Amino acid sequence: MFPRAARALAHLLAGLVTGPASFVWAVLTTLACGLLSFTYLGPPVFLAVTWVSRWIARLERWRAGWVLRRVIADPYGPVTGTNLWARGRSVIREPGTWRDLAWLLAGFPVGLVTGVVGVVAGVVELGVLLAPAWLWAVPNPRLYPVADWLFNTVGGRFTMSLAGLVALWPVLWLVAAVARVQASIAARLLDAGPRARLRQQVSALRETRLRVVDAQAAELQRIERDLHDGAQARIVAAGMTLALADRKLRAAGLAEDPARADVMSARRQLDDALAELRRLVRGIYPPILTDRGLVAALTALAGDAPLTVVVEASDLGELPAAVESAAYFVVAEALANTVKHAAADECVVTVRRSGDVLALAVRDDGRGGADPSGSGLDGLRRRVEALDGTMEVTSPPGGPTTVRAEFPCAS
Amino acid sequence: MRIVIAEDLLLLRDGLVRMLTDTGHTVVAAVDNAPDLERAVLEHRPDLSIVDVRLPPGFRDEGLRAALSVREQDPKAPILILSQYVERTYATELLADGNGAIGYLLKDRVTALDEFLDALERVAAGGTAMDPEVIRQLFARNTRDQRITTLTAREREVLALVAQGLSNSAICAELVLAPPSVEKHISNILTKLDLPPADNTHRRVRAVLAYLNQ
Repeated sequence: MFPRAARALAHLLAGLVTGPASFVWAVLTTLACGLLSFTYLGPPVFLAVTWVSRWIARLERWRAGWVLRRVIADPYGPVTGTNLWARGRSVIREPGTWRDLAWLLAGFPVGLVTGVVGVVAGVVELGVLLAPAWLWAVPNPRLYPVADWLFNTVGGRFTMSLAGLVALWPVLWLVAAVARVQASIAARLLDAGPRARLRQQVSALRETRLRVVDAQAAELQRIERDLHDGAQARIVAAGMTLALADRKLRAAGLAEDPARADVMSARRQLDDALAELRRLVRGIYPPILTDRGLVAALTALAGDAPLTVVVEASDLGELPAAVESAAYFVVAEALANTVKHAAADECVVTVRRSGDVLALAVRDDGRGGADPSGSGLDGLRRRVEALDGTMEVTSPPGGPTTVRAEFPCAS
Repeated sequence: MRIVIAEDLLLLRDGLVRMLTDTGHTVVAAVDNAPDLERAVLEHRPDLSIVDVRLPPGFRDEGLRAALSVREQDPKAPILILSQYVERTYATELLADGNGAIGYLLKDRVTALDEFLDALERVAAGGTAMDPEVIRQLFARNTRDQRITTLTAREREVLALVAQGLSNSAICAELVLAPPSVEKHISNILTKLDLPPADNTHRRVRAVLAYLNQ
């Protein structure tokens, strides 16, 4: 109880100093910024003032956290923008800036009331507790009879001391409570507001999801490689051994031996297994994507289609594997649908990257009327959305059909 | 035949060496990466190089690139590319120089020993060996071609074999047909596709592939 009360008292005393100081700072700087806001000095002064204010707020956060026994984290989002005006606007839009200001202003009255209550309670308690030690030195004439007995007789002073002892715990509790009231109000304003907390959660979720998706893509590539170096190679090797065995059977004049039919059928079964594996690998992660990258893979897709497909692509730079494969499958599915349903003669695939967005479009000159919620497209949409991308299909009756997808691809 | 092998997986490299040695060929070098392949081919000048598409250091299409680079330095060097999967694009790149002596097969094909050995001979002799899967992809992109749709089912079968690089006699054996009827089919195909009649198998293969790939 004692350390907590001591902390509370220190907190309240400090609040009596910081409260007025912050208040004066906040009022003066707000006035100054208001006056300068239409001049070129506005943004730099505002940014500098906010920088200082944030440090004061940090100090206040620490002071409140010290009493509340928890860490109060900074709520600010990143300051964006390349020039001072843009950075200023970004700081103005930050709710934390205004919540800070609110506390810098409110801290004064709140600190004053709580500080006075706490300090007075503490001082009175100390005085009463130590009454026998000092009251004799202070003459108190003309008091009511009861008070006169309490103040001016030794027995009365010790009775006061006893009363002080009885009131000690409630008073310590009171001091701690007012300190907590002050700190809680401060924490309410200085802590991340609901919006900032949501924003932090969203960015944390986005980051973890991105990591999961990346890990998944890396895993798929690893599986593809493992199948290539492992299972596929082993099956081919087994097939070679069977082929040699078959040759030896023939050389030994056993061409008609029933065992040879078994060897041949085993070999055919291995061929089927390889074909099956190849289909699987293509569905997991198309090898040409690993070999040549997205643009070459799309060009190959275009070349394999039985209609004219023009690929317009700019230099895409490094792309996350997950984005590459999703983009590939979107185009593959769109082309397959065009071939199957659209009765189109030509199809244009455009892939562009502007900054951190990869945009692709597949547009045919067919008859349209595609069902955007068809199972193939729907599966792709989910895949695209897992990467925070968007996909839309427009296909009015009479055409043309356009499939558009966008992926964020910060690398 | 004197053969150079480039295959990074020990299991397959040893298997290939054993298989080729057993069938009377000589493996003059068996390497496991692309730079060594180029060196070995230019040093040994083999009758044939068998190259895996995926090779160290990058495990992408180094084998293919090395093969193309070898061909730039020695345009007639016969090369057979083996791969776990085939891409029409790669076949196009390999055929681009028009010199023949090129093969592009799935690794699976090595298990059909006689056909595989036949493909080796063809490539070494300056011919072509295209995987049926490549031909399937070529057909897929030509499903709307007016001329090809006029071919009968049998003619399409023959066309696929011609495109793979098979000689007339090999086609006869494969389809169990008499030589005159194969010749008849082929001349029908060439007429329908508006291709010049060619008595030379290599030139015929190239014309057919060029047609399917246009």
